[in-house]
Formats: sequence, structure tokens, C-alpha cells
Amino acid sequence: MKHDLAKIPEIIGRYPQQESSLIMVLQDIQKEFNYLPCEALEQTAEALHVPLSKVFSVSTFYNAFSLTKKGDVVVRVCIGTACHIRGARQIQEQLETALKIQAGETTRDEKFTLEVVGCVGACAMAPVVLTNEQYHAQCKVHTVKKLVSKR
Amino acid sequence: MVSLTINGKVVRAEEGEYLLAVIRRMGIDVPALCQHEAVEPYGGCRLCMVEITKDSWDGWKKYVTSCLYPVEQDLIVTTHSDKVNDLRRGILDLFLARNPETPLIQKLAADYGLTRTSYEAIPEPNDCILCSICTRVCDAMGFSAISMVNRGHGKEVAPPLHQAPPDCVGCLACAQACPTNYITYEDVGNRRTIWNKQFELLVCDKTGRPTITKEFADYLIKNREIPEDYFRIDDASHREELADKMGRITRWSVTEEAK
Ligand code: FES
Ligand code: FES
Repeated sequence: MKHDLAKIPEIIGRYPQQESSLIMVLQDIQKEFNYLPCEALEQTAEALHVPLSKVFSVSTFYNAFSLTKKGDVVVRVCIGTACHIRGARQIQEQLETALKIQAGETTRDEKFTLEVVGCVGACAMAPVVLTNEQYHAQCKVHTVKKLVSKR
Repeated sequence: MVSLTINGKVVRAEEGEYLLAVIRRMGIDVPALCQHEAVEPYGGCRLCMVEITKDSWDGWKKYVTSCLYPVEQDLIVTTHSDKVNDLRRGILDLFLARNPETPLIQKLAADYGLTRTSYEAIPEPNDCILCSICTRVCDAMGFSAISMVNRGHGKEVAPPLHQAPPDCVGCLACAQACPTNYITYEDVGNRRTIWNKQFELLVCDKTGRPTITKEFADYLIKNREIPEDYFRIDDASHREELADKMGRITRWSVTEEAK
């Protein structure tokens, strides 16, 4: 994905230039770039009149924000209790082998990031894997690789 | 004015006052680690917990953080009941797991009969008790150079992006307010380093001693109506005057003992 930092001012400009817009601005930036670039944090602080330290505090507090670059597709393996019991660990291993990375890492071509997450609230569909916002139900060890085949 | 009962004594207090202030005024020792007179109460450490009830409550009791609980007419407060002491012990047990080597915590825990944590102590402990006094003092000074970052067991005090904080002026308020001396700084000659940021210190015309950083002086001159030549002389009357202007949040002279 191309990271066009020139887009930042436009994103910040979507909301009133005040402290209460902080999270919405960060969400939009996260969505655009898949992470929060340093430059974005600095520009946001400046535009919304929020100290940079507070912007950093908020961006490190929420899991929805990331300060490191992520791949185009973020693959999240649920390892919550229900998914754990139904083999999340094996699913995770399959994906790690397929992508040749460990959970928490991003592939060299920046296509995929693999993460493990706590219960995603779809226990009846366990084991669950998410690719970006899409849920994949009842994942199977022998088919889960398809989710990350590079087409 | 309201009147309430604390440990069996009837006392009067100003409306809007917090319980802890009244308790302290009576000379009762209640631990309060995240409390600092320069900033608003925070309710972070939970150690100032006390038991409250009222005759009208039908025997119900509540456990509240006294630093944050405003006085109320007819309140009956107990600061060291068995239950309260138990709660405090539980909290100190957790503190001991996080800060097993911190003298302040060890001492307090010992007061409550604990010498070691019943949990597993964290492998690489430091002295930060996460009271956030430093960040709140920094906010009160008007800089907001540092903040709490991350959360859960990864929570820590840090400058933005873990780099030298752009908004820091080297005033040392954070280091001086830190109850465990976790925040360190170094003054060598007329150079100061804090949070990995380097500062040059002004020097007193009379004594040749270093005073405060140029950045801090500039800030005070600009924002607190302090005359430009003020920082050329380092003596007691100057300090007093400045302390008044700044609401006594910090002392500005390095020649004075920090704590
Ligand atoms: S445990 Fe995976 S969705 Fe609940
Ligand atoms: S002093 Fe820390 S919670 Fe009240």
C-alpha cells in the first residue's frame, strides 16, 4: 500500500479542530495507512491543540491503533477460550508456517500481518480467523492457508 | 461546614473538602501514594481507602478512596478497621510484586505486616509505582511533555514516541515530585540531562552557580510575568517570590535539596 503522507492534513481537516476530535482523527489515519505514522501524530497534536504526549498516550492505549506499519491484510487469529479449545493454536501454527512469520510480525512484502487476539465475540463460530474486517468461521487446519494465498 | 465522625471523633470540615485532607489534619496516618498537593486527586493507588457508613444506612458500609471522597454530613469514617487493613494489605501485596525493590513500598508493606509478595514478582522491576504524579505535575506546569503510555502490564511513563520530549523545558518538576526517585536527571556543570534531553543552565551573576534552564526561564518570563533579569540572581528571596508566582509546584534552584 502506498503511504501518501500528504493526505494527513485532509484527514485531520475532516473534523472540528479540537481535542474531542482526537480519536476520530486517529481512527481515520489508522484506516488510511494501516498504522499511525509519526508525522501524523505530530500534525494531529498541532492541529487539534493537544500535547503530543497525550496523542501518544491515546495511540498506545487502544489496540485499534498501531504505531508500526502493518500489512495490507491483517490476519487475526482468535485465541479466546472457545477458539482455543477448538484448536486456535494449530490454526495459528499453520498460518505462521504459511506466511513464514511469527504472530505479531509482518511479511517482508508488507502484504500480511499476523496477530493473535482475545475473544472476538463470535464464539459460536469458533475457531475464528479475521482477515481485516472479515470473519471466517469454523476454520480448519488444512484449509486455513487459503486465507493467505497470494492469488 | 459539615460535621462527621472519624475514628470515633466528631470533626468539622469545609464543604467540598476531601476526606483524606480531614483525616490528615487529625494527624491520622493513611497511606496515599498517588496524592500530591500540587495536583488534583487521582484515585490511582487505592491505598487511601477507608470505610464509611451512616446511622441511616442500616448497617451498610462502603469502601471508598478518601482522596477522592468529599466530606458529607453525618458520615462515619473508619480508617483502620480490620477490613480496611486487609484491603490495603491486598493492594500492597500487588505493589510488592511490581516494585519488590522499592524502599517506599517495602516500608509501607512492612507496616502492614508484609515482607514479600504472595504473587510472582516481575522479573525486571523498576521503582515506578504508576502514581502518575509526574505526568500530572507536568500538566499542571503547563508543559505536558510526558504521559502514561500503553496499558495493562505494559503501562509506563514515557515521553512521546520514546524520544527526547519536545515540550520538556527541563524544570525537574517530575523528578522532584516522584515519590520513589524513579525519574532521574543529571546536572554536570551548567548542563542538565533529563528524559534524554540536554539543556544548558543559566548561571547566577553573583555566585556563578547554575540556576535553571534557559528554556524554563524563557517560559516563565513569557507566561508568568517574571522580569527578564530575574534569573540572573540566585538567592532565597528570589526563590520565595517565584515559588509564590508558580503556585509552589516546583523549586527552581539546583542549589536547593530536591527532597
Ligand atoms: S473465543 Fe474466539 S470468538 Fe470467542
Ligand atoms: S491517594 Fe492514591 S487512591 Fe487516594
